[in-house]
Amino acid sequence: MIGQSFPFREAFKHAVLIIGALIVILPFYVMTSYSLKSQSEITTNTGGFFGAQEKGVDEYCVKLGNPRSACEETPAIFNYTQAFKKAPLLRYLLNGVIVTASIFLIQVVIALPCAYALSKLRFWGRDAVFGLVMFCLLIPVHAIALPIYIMLSKLGLTNTYASLIIPWTISVFGIFLMRQFFMTVPDDLIDAARMDGMSEFSIIWKVMLPTAIPALLAFAIFSVVAHWNDYFWPRFAITGMRDLYTPPLGLREFRGGSDGSDWGPMMATATIIVTPLIVAFLLAQKRFIEGITLTGMK
Amino acid sequence: MSTHYSKAGYWFIAPAIILMVLILIAPVLIAAGLSFTDFSLGSKSFSWVGFENYAKLASRSTYTKMLWASATYVLIVVPVSIGLGLGAALLINSVKRFGDVYKTIYFLPVMAALLAMAIVWEFSLHPTIGIVNKTLASGCGTWVEALFSWGWLPWVDGAQSWYTTGCTDGFPLWFGDKKYTMWTICFIGIWQGFGFNMVLYLAGLTSVPRELYHAAEMDGAVSGWDQFRLVTWPMLGPTTVFVVTISTIRSFQVFDTVEAITQGGPSKSTYVMMYAIFEKGVKQNLIGMGSAITVAFMAFVLILTLVQRHLIERKVHYA
Repeated sequence: MIGQSFPFREAFKHAVLIIGALIVILPFYVMTSYSLKSQSEITTNTGGFFGAQEKGVDEYCVKLGNPRSACEETPAIFNYTQAFKKAPLLRYLLNGVIVTASIFLIQVVIALPCAYALSKLRFWGRDAVFGLVMFCLLIPVHAIALPIYIMLSKLGLTNTYASLIIPWTISVFGIFLMRQFFMTVPDDLIDAARMDGMSEFSIIWKVMLPTAIPALLAFAIFSVVAHWNDYFWPRFAITGMRDLYTPPLGLREFRGGSDGSDWGPMMATATIIVTPLIVAFLLAQKRFIEGITLTGMK
Repeated sequence: MSTHYSKAGYWFIAPAIILMVLILIAPVLIAAGLSFTDFSLGSKSFSWVGFENYAKLASRSTYTKMLWASATYVLIVVPVSIGLGLGAALLINSVKRFGDVYKTIYFLPVMAALLAMAIVWEFSLHPTIGIVNKTLASGCGTWVEALFSWGWLPWVDGAQSWYTTGCTDGFPLWFGDKKYTMWTICFIGIWQGFGFNMVLYLAGLTSVPRELYHAAEMDGAVSGWDQFRLVTWPMLGPTTVFVVTISTIRSFQVFDTVEAITQGGPSKSTYVMMYAIFEKGVKQNLIGMGSAITVAFMAFVLILTLVQRHLIERKVHYA
């Protein structure tokens, strides 16, 4: 607006934003950089981002009786192979996928019919059920973790996949979201399906589901991000069974010493756990931001 | 609205209702009931202790410290992460280029597993080999120290400054020194959460009609501050109500950073409610006490949500 040769205001804004961005990125930088560097480069803070990648000897490998030459490895490869060798990381990742996918699928199977009934069918007590849903929206699942934990352990279900999945099978938020979405679906579409002789059950999965894909996708992102990253509930549900650790639990167990030992492999583990969602986010930013801020409707 | 009457509806809602009752409603009642007992897992019997657990909650120093820690965390993280979120949104909205790049970067921490990032922060803030203190120490004795000791300001004694003291006596133990730990945990919370608030504010900003700014200009609100005060801020009201509630509830639920880094210490300075529930209820098997904290926690969240609904409904009337 003011005829300046150099846009000071604009430059100042960018300066502030860049400083903020550097602070935000710092831990991501540290994480990836340490995952590539050798022990000594980490403790002395040398080697820049990638480290010198000089081959080092794995003393543990030598102790096992292997020749020294066979135990030489560049730090980056060493850290990432250690991440999988020192702890069953692959198993943890698989557990993460199983738990996250099961939670989402069960949430949909439970929520879709309920949302359909609440938006498109008339029956006695419907408003009361919707009232119940609205009431349950007030209950944060994190808050009731302890009583759920007690119930599950009374049933002998702690330290099972079931204990990781069960508390999340009902998503009242999902019901609410899908109901709001189904309200916008024209009745004519459903009536036409009924004319064709479709049962109410197949209307849900063959007519409503396809129309709901965009809302469902947003909900999927919301659900998957929350449960892949969740540390709180798995910490309650799994107390000793390493085989059932989800990725965050596995990382927590895999803690390097405070002297810097094992920092490299540990940061490699962290990188492996964090990367899938970050990459997915970078590829589909709009959808992710939409999905995560869905909580906005809560 | 369809007028289709169908018995099928009952089949469709039945699973959801059963699960709502079993997983959401029953636990609330169970927690409320157990909070009046000395129940523990594995023991055969338990007795009713009345309000004893709640009395402890209100009197024992452990629990007053807990309430204090949770309140401190919320009162620091919520305003700062909202302020930064709003500031970032306004800046990003007003720059001509690269706005989307900043938006993407600021949103990254929201996507990353907080536990993993907590551990990375712990390493970065390690007192001797962490990158933060190493970098700070490398500035000692150079122009960096001269600049940030602020000794060049006439009214500041540079030798007493934070930076110079750090250079001579060592930089802080971020997670070991009671003076810093809560602030550092709050910092991680802010780092993780402000991008979320920013995104909500960016969405709110797109819904502010352009004409309002022109109208305000006509009425003499020419400066950026006046436009913000008279147009942007009031129009963002509903967004702010929402952002405040969700940030508060999320901050009350802080757990990952505390469990992974401080375990509530040093001397209970970061002993937040969620961690207390976990420690009392699961680690120490003192379920009565854990349930009492759970009930207190639910009460806080409920009050917050009801206040939010009330505010939003009020807003609707003059929007």
